[in-house]
Amino acid sequence: MNTAVVLGRYIPLDSPVHRMDPRAKIAAMFAFLISLFIDVGFIGYAILGVIVFAGVLAAKLKPSYIWRAFKPMMIMMVFLMILNFYAIRTGYVMFSIFGWNIYSDAVFQTLYIVLRLLLMINATTLVTATTKPMDMTIAIEDLLSPLKAVGFPAHDVAMMISIALRFIPTLLEESQRIMKAQASRGVDLEEGKFMEKIMAILSLIVPLFVSSYQKADDLANAMEARGYDPDAKRVRYRRLKMRLSDWMLVIGMNLVLAGIIVLKVVL
Amino acid sequence: MAITFRKVNFIYSEGTPFSYHALKDIDLNITLGKVTAIIGATGSGKSTMVQHLNALLVPTEGEVEVGDHTIKAKAKNKNLKDLRKHVGLVFQFPEYQLFEETILKDVAFGPKNFGCTEEEANQRAKDALKVVGIPDDYYDRSPLDLSGGQKRRVAIAGILAMRPEVLVLDEPTAGLDPAGTKSMMQLFLDYNRKAGNTVILVTHNMDQVLKYCDEVVAVKDGRIAAHTDVKSFFRDPSIMEGTNMNPPFIIRFEELLKEKGFALKDTYGDPDSLAKAISKEMKR
Ligand SMILES: Nc1ncnc2c1ncn2[C@@H]1O[C@H](COP(=O)(O)OP(=O)(O)OP(=O)(O)O)[C@@H](O)[C@H]1O
Ligand SMILES: [Mg+2]
Repeated sequence: MNTAVVLGRYIPLDSPVHRMDPRAKIAAMFAFLISLFIDVGFIGYAILGVIVFAGVLAAKLKPSYIWRAFKPMMIMMVFLMILNFYAIRTGYVMFSIFGWNIYSDAVFQTLYIVLRLLLMINATTLVTATTKPMDMTIAIEDLLSPLKAVGFPAHDVAMMISIALRFIPTLLEESQRIMKAQASRGVDLEEGKFMEKIMAILSLIVPLFVSSYQKADDLANAMEARGYDPDAKRVRYRRLKMRLSDWMLVIGMNLVLAGIIVLKVVL
Repeated sequence: MAITFRKVNFIYSEGTPFSYHALKDIDLNITLGKVTAIIGATGSGKSTMVQHLNALLVPTEGEVEVGDHTIKAKAKNKNLKDLRKHVGLVFQFPEYQLFEETILKDVAFGPKNFGCTEEEANQRAKDALKVVGIPDDYYDRSPLDLSGGQKRRVAIAGILAMRPEVLVLDEPTAGLDPAGTKSMMQLFLDYNRKAGNTVILVTHNMDQVLKYCDEVVAVKDGRIAAHTDVKSFFRDPSIMEGTNMNPPFIIRFEELLKEKGFALKDTYGDPDSLAKAISKEMKR
């Protein structure tokens, strides 16, 4: 039952990446993601792969940990592969399985997408694993604050995002707890007839909804009791500060993006 | 049927930065047909331990034997459903597991899962609800509209209706009023004394241990600190030390009497026999 979901969880370690300004990390991540979607072939992926790998090393995250973040995507990737192998019939025939011809373009296309997904997950996991949810909120709010001029509720959105992030592990824990409680009452999610399965799922979802609503209510009350007012002017206890290394990260990543754009134009 | 832990170790989220060694080399033999209390400070591993009894958690190392079932570390354990039919576990704050439209249906859910017919399950549900003191005009109401204490009763009825031979309760009376606590405890005692079932009870309340239990297992930092019968447990103050617990009021009173020079021969633990002993001593 120890299937702790890795995606989006903060890993408290002490590393240079953890200490970086969250705004720099988010900005760099966006530059990275944009680079990822500019198709310059495998060279681009190689460059980005090296960058993200260096990031994981510097953050002292275990590779096994990153690997666990990929696992849930495996099914999707296999599905994608089958779909591609079936649909794409261009290029030359690379090999054939059970008399089924697999074309080179299908293989390359699949590889492209898989690599892209892997790099994407890797980069986002790197940011979420090294940034405290609270810092993340502040950073998002800061980055969105220029939009306040046109009436965009940057603070509210940031607060909503941070609450959502904060409650992911709580809800996971809660669902595990309810699952165990119902397993004690004979619920078996793996076996059973169709109707039994429906009942089993209901027996998880209903209590989960009930407790989520209750938690939301409690949280709202607790925030109000402590005088939270979304429209009030707020000062911050923690101030973010961009240091040289932070600027270097942002500029460096944007240079990479620029380089990839140049490559794209040249090729 | 026997309940035995052999060299059980349990580690939460092994292999991640969150890993936590919750149980360490647990060797334990729980006597059947008795009421056993599991005590220990917050976070000492009580809930983790009892979840091994019906294989909600599987040991990281070692094995747990319950009746014909042996739950081994690193093995594919089968027939868990049959095990769970015999070992009913009531979670800490079980009121959050209610989900059916009506109270009766919710309580009948367990028995039905374990193969009872609709009628039999309903009959058992009604019996169980009667035992926990939910009147029959509540049967068709939604369990979600009840008060916290009533929900707790319904949730406990949901396990009782399964009629497990081993009933495991994780702090069943936390947050109940004194009268509710008393009737609950009496109910568990009856489940043991009248029907001969085994009851295992996690509790922080030493008065409950003294009054309702036969044996005590004290857990400290994921290890068994002591396992004896209730009387010798309270007779030996050194066991209590380091478990972060206070002895029941009456035991402390006896200790104080002894300190002040009263020659009490035994640990009595109930007001009646203590009063008799005192008056005998006074006459002498
Ligand atoms: N899902 C989990 N993941 C990681 N650690 C956990 C998990 N559940 C419990 N723990 C840790 O294991 C230890 C034992 O927890 P457990 O719930 O067994 O304690 P307990 O004795 O029942 O305490 P309480 O009296 O508060 O109920 C605690 O330190 C807790 O932090
Ligand atoms: Mg507990």
